[in-house]
Amino acid sequence: MTDVVASRIGLPKLSSLARFTFVDVILWALRLAVVIVVVGGTIGTLLKGRYAAAQWFDLVMFGLTIGSVYALIALGYTMVYGVLRLINFAHGDITMTGAFAGYFLASSFDRSGLLDRSPILAMAGILALAIVTSTTIAVLTERIAYRPFRHVRGFAPLICAIGVSFFLEQTFRGLFGPSIRSYPDPKWQRAAIDVLGFSVPRVDIIVIALAVVAMLVLYVIIQRTKMGTAMRAVSEDTDAAAMMGVDVNKVVVFTFALGGAMAGIAGVFYAFVFKQVYFFMGFTPGIKAFGAAVLGGIGSVPGAMIGGFFLGLVESVGPALFLDGIGIPAPYQLRDLIAFTLLIMVLIFRPHGILGERMAKKRA
Amino acid sequence: MALLEIDDIHVFYDKIEALKGVSIAVDEKQIVTLVGANGAGKTTTLRAISGILHPRAGEIRLGGESLADLPPHEIAGMGVVQVPEGRRIFARLTVDENLQMGAFSRNDRRAIAEDKERMLALFPRLKERLKQVAGTLSGGEQQMVATARALMARPRILLMDEPSMGLSPVMVEHVFETIRAINQQGVTILLVEQNALMALGIADFGYVMESGRIVLTGRGQDLLEDENVQRAYLG
Ligand SMILES: Nc1ncnc2c1ncn2[C@@H]1O[C@H](COP(=O)(O)OP(=O)(O)OP(=O)(O)O)[C@@H](O)[C@H]1O
Ligand SMILES: [Mg+2]
Repeated sequence: MTDVVASRIGLPKLSSLARFTFVDVILWALRLAVVIVVVGGTIGTLLKGRYAAAQWFDLVMFGLTIGSVYALIALGYTMVYGVLRLINFAHGDITMTGAFAGYFLASSFDRSGLLDRSPILAMAGILALAIVTSTTIAVLTERIAYRPFRHVRGFAPLICAIGVSFFLEQTFRGLFGPSIRSYPDPKWQRAAIDVLGFSVPRVDIIVIALAVVAMLVLYVIIQRTKMGTAMRAVSEDTDAAAMMGVDVNKVVVFTFALGGAMAGIAGVFYAFVFKQVYFFMGFTPGIKAFGAAVLGGIGSVPGAMIGGFFLGLVESVGPALFLDGIGIPAPYQLRDLIAFTLLIMVLIFRPHGILGERMAKKRA
Repeated sequence: MALLEIDDIHVFYDKIEALKGVSIAVDEKQIVTLVGANGAGKTTTLRAISGILHPRAGEIRLGGESLADLPPHEIAGMGVVQVPEGRRIFARLTVDENLQMGAFSRNDRRAIAEDKERMLALFPRLKERLKQVAGTLSGGEQQMVATARALMARPRILLMDEPSMGLSPVMVEHVFETIRAINQQGVTILLVEQNALMALGIADFGYVMESGRIVLTGRGQDLLEDENVQRAYLG
């Protein structure tokens, strides 16, 4: 299969040669513009000195918080891609299902007062339900929508994935309505706590800490367990693994389950941070996390983690650091612009991502 | 009855018929070799046995039981394990993890540990490389990993696709000694080789393949002495 793909990728060589100069000019202009914005903006911002250390710290903490959510989601993309070479376009929506499940439990805990009385128990319950929900839906998606198309060549699997994405969104819209629901906002989440002399909302610390724990657990599962090892083996060479007796379907289900679990956690955290739940909420973080996975080198687990945090930091710190300095008003509204610019730049200039190249070299 | 029977299989890549009715029988405890020029269909035959490709017609049986429609991992579970062409070890996994993958379908921890020790006795060079990432090993060592990995599945029949490919003469010698040793421990072997001279030399029985067909069969020694074979494959 890889041979087929390689020969296909080899095809457009000639035509791109013909357009070499034209494309080249545009790409260099793009590079230059980004360098000017980044360097010029940074110098401008620092000269103006409008932001105090505490504000920078806030931005960094928020970047790490949202970055850990991206990282958790990106892991699902990268693992599924590694094993099946499939972009699971429904993954953002699988995150949404976890957020929704968590929301219903959180609301009932809020009404009963449990959310305030025993936050840890409540949070454990919310996370557990979200994990179960997202995992179940991820595994069902694979079984019903992806497996029948696994050996179909061409665009069918991709289109199927997009179809699943619409299906999940519209199902949740149909069941729970199109309106935005507000997530409970208990005092203990908002309370500021002290980190290195700066005050940080506790929810940020909770999200970052638990996300890191989840990722460590995932990493140990992938590196130390038999199924995790099989996952890595299948990612490298599916046929060879099958010929050794590895049940590839089992490994695929396992992969979707792990990705689903991470997505469930991410959904709850996303809702913790933005305090909103609605049927379309998975779309933007999903696309961004996919970008983060590409940024880190799709197929690479550490790459997805790094890519997620990096994207979170850039989109949080970027507006103040790059845009304020060149005199753009209200730079925060351009947060998504920065994120997507970064992703497009990665796709153009380094499509194999941060850790992708090393992987490709090793494989050869 | 032979342990492995390939009965008139036809295998296609889309519309191209790569195997045009191939029949091979491998008796228990034998070494059988399949030789032939580039593109004859040797790898295709082994991939069909392992269930990676499915014959459009014909049947493959193990101990009389049809392997048709079984997924590759179940075929491996029945004891038909392959050392694929180009070795295809898991380059990013450690040597130890590669061996662990060979034993994937087994659950008998103690026996697995014992088998690992036997592998390290068979390939002492792998001992100090156990924790090393397999992709960093030399070609000869990678062949050892591929063979050991397959043996960890406790095969009844081992399919080997050009194990000597790309190796130094010393390593080639070692590979053939290993094949003989494995066979003497009771493992049946179906060996695909370009090195027809050495393969026929250790084989009980040989098949010569050309353009998707078996054109000649006979005892290994007889084929070695056959004029046609000598002209075509032994120079
Ligand atoms: N993936 C594929 N798609 C299409 N045709 C293929 C594919 N793999 C092999 N073939 C064709 O099938 C025929 C048999 O190939 P096969 O790899 O089985 O030969 P082989 O005897 O193993 O050769 P070698 O000694 O080079 O390994 C060849 O003509 C080859 O071009
Ligand atoms: Mg071959």
